Amino acid sequence: MWGALLRRGVRGAGGLRCLSSGGPPWSQVVSEAEKIVGYPTSFMSLRCLLSDELSNIAMQVRKLVGTKHPLLDTARGFVYDSRNNLQMRGLVVLLISKAAGPSTAELSFQHDMVSGIYSSQRSLAEITELIHTAFLVHRGIVNIGELKSCDGPLKDMQFGNKMAVLSGDFLLANACTSLAQLQNTKVVELISSAIGDLVQGIYYENSKSTENCLTDDIGISRWKEQVFLSHSALLAKSCQAAMELAKHSAEIQDMAFQYGKHMSMSHKLHSDLQPFVKESSGDTMAFSLNSAPAILHQEFRGREAWLKQIREAQGKGNIVDYKKLQEAIKAGKGVTSAIDLCRYHGNRALAALERFPPSEARDALANIVYAVTRFP
Amino acid sequence: RNHATWKGKNIKSKSGIFFQEFHHTSTSHCCSCSKTISDEKYQDPFQLGRKDLKNLYEDIKKELLVSAAELKEMCDYYFDGKGKAFRPMIVVLMARACNIHHNNSKEMQASQRSVAIIAEMIHTASLVHDDVIDDANSRRGKRTLNQIWGERKAVLAGDFILSAASVALARIGNTTIISVLTQVIEDLVRGEFLQLGSKENENERFAHYLEKTFKKTASLIANSCKAVSILSCPDPKVHEIAYQYGKNVGIAFQLIDDVLDFTSCADHLGKPTAADLKLGLATGPVLFACRQFPEMNAMIMRRFSKPGDVERARKYVLQSDGVQQTTYLAQRYCHAATREIRKLRPSPEREALVHLTEMVLMRDK
Repeated sequence: MWGALLRRGVRGAGGLRCLSSGGPPWSQVVSEAEKIVGYPTSFMSLRCLLSDELSNIAMQVRKLVGTKHPLLDTARGFVYDSRNNLQMRGLVVLLISKAAGPSTAELSFQHDMVSGIYSSQRSLAEITELIHTAFLVHRGIVNIGELKSCDGPLKDMQFGNKMAVLSGDFLLANACTSLAQLQNTKVVELISSAIGDLVQGIYYENSKSTENCLTDDIGISRWKEQVFLSHSALLAKSCQAAMELAKHSAEIQDMAFQYGKHMSMSHKLHSDLQPFVKESSGDTMAFSLNSAPAILHQEFRGREAWLKQIREAQGKGNIVDYKKLQEAIKAGKGVTSAIDLCRYHGNRALAALERFPPSEARDALANIVYAVTRFP
Repeated sequence: RNHATWKGKNIKSKSGIFFQEFHHTSTSHCCSCSKTISDEKYQDPFQLGRKDLKNLYEDIKKELLVSAAELKEMCDYYFDGKGKAFRPMIVVLMARACNIHHNNSKEMQASQRSVAIIAEMIHTASLVHDDVIDDANSRRGKRTLNQIWGERKAVLAGDFILSAASVALARIGNTTIISVLTQVIEDLVRGEFLQLGSKENENERFAHYLEKTFKKTASLIANSCKAVSILSCPDPKVHEIAYQYGKNVGIAFQLIDDVLDFTSCADHLGKPTAADLKLGLATGPVLFACRQFPEMNAMIMRRFSKPGDVERARKYVLQSDGVQQTTYLAQRYCHAATREIRKLRPSPEREALVHLTEMVLMRDK
């Protein structure tokens, strides 16, 4: 299917390299990008971080140490998780704002600009991160009714839930307030609809099919729709909104949307592929049976055959032998298809970038694409 | 300064901090506390607002565009037409009262009706989250979302309703209105946080309680009234009247709610009673009772967490004048609301809003 598009890189007038030719390592991509946008994006607005409410929460979350509530992991993730590209979405919004350049719509567009980015666009980048973070937190809620005694005292879980709901709501409320301050109703509508998308995406993420709890009976197109909602919509719409803030044309807005959408899809696919492409000598990385390679494998082999393979990989007590399943998937076409799909989206993202004038910021956005489409 | 009397009880200024808030007006319209029903011909607010609110819940459901059937079911769950629709009603009545005041217009703008819808959606979204936070299992006589579908999905449903409200808000196309109603979202969250903390000192506790009450309940009503008044006319005096009406009626509403938690029985109310005590919250009746029974202080500080605290506190409250004091306070707020709204040009809607304050005081669920 995507084979034809695969190895054909994008080489337009702007001179973006094609996908197969590598690019700088991820950490370098990020640090160069940060320089381009003017300052590190490694923390959200101080105003929000230093608020009484958040410090209150932080104190309370400490009580969760020693419990099994997921909020603790989420909180740790904020502090320690450089691998998962803290604030990456905000960075992309800043880059695309810079890449699009100053407003060409009205000469009277007198908004202050720092490092080639309007303050409203910077605010939007922060709003995007706030929303993303709010949902990381809301994803960490546990169902009280499903708890077992090994999960620890009920009180702890209820407390953790309370903190998770409150802190997520706090972040969302801050995002809404900042959105209102942008004084642009189209942007409010766009980002609010992105929140709705994100909710639906997460809902699908959580839903399990009734017959077999391990894997959904969905094909790759449905998978893409759901992943768009949970992983792409926010960034795609934020990129578009950044263009709207500078009153760029509908065409540029659409290109920004396409970049955000396709780059996010590539990023998700890249992430899903990690357990299958790493040469690991140690333990097998656990992977989700709803990740791209598994879904594609299922599509090629057929649901029945796939379910049979899962059953065969289930040992005593229905514990899944992930190594066995991983080998089954690797033996099929799931992995190569997923890589193809990743590159397809990468190419689409680069094609969108072609419509922006050449610049450092555009190069940085291209480097991000190269980084998420690179496999050993 | 201003000591009021009600049925022979003299409420002195130890609670004076509350009275400062609304004793600034010089008009003396409604200081004669012996009248409870305004003697002008009044209309039942529900009848007046009925036409505008017809299809309110259907319209809300139309804003909730969800493809997943179960999530849709969850989002629609509380918009079953069985709620009181108290907030939307205030909003549409206020819209009409302001429109008539401004230019005798008997029309209501579509955007004003949208505000009513948005207010109800924001309110419901916050209830859904509150129920998860409080681990509540019933509301309005039926099981809560979290009880049926679990906490994870319930939180998502609340988030979705809020996002749909934001989309509807943006579509009105007015950045001022967006700011006014977004303030509500922020206040609701801050109100929840206020509830987390507690104050040592008795005077601080009352102020804290009122601030929480404003943020959690009154802000929504005050700001949605303000929003429709802005859509109605450019006069800032009118906006202030609308806001003050909403604020005062909102606080009164919550005070009575807090009273009902002690005086009503669970079946009638639709939710369990002494709920606030069980959550560790010291509301109006408790704070008043504490002045007569200082032994309650320790219970308040430990948020009624020791076994037997809830029952003991409840008994103290019912033995004290806490309920009466809180009701009286609610009356003061209602009178303030009435004074404000009577600054507008007379109209059936204006009087309905006056009548509404009386209904707030007399409700039993």
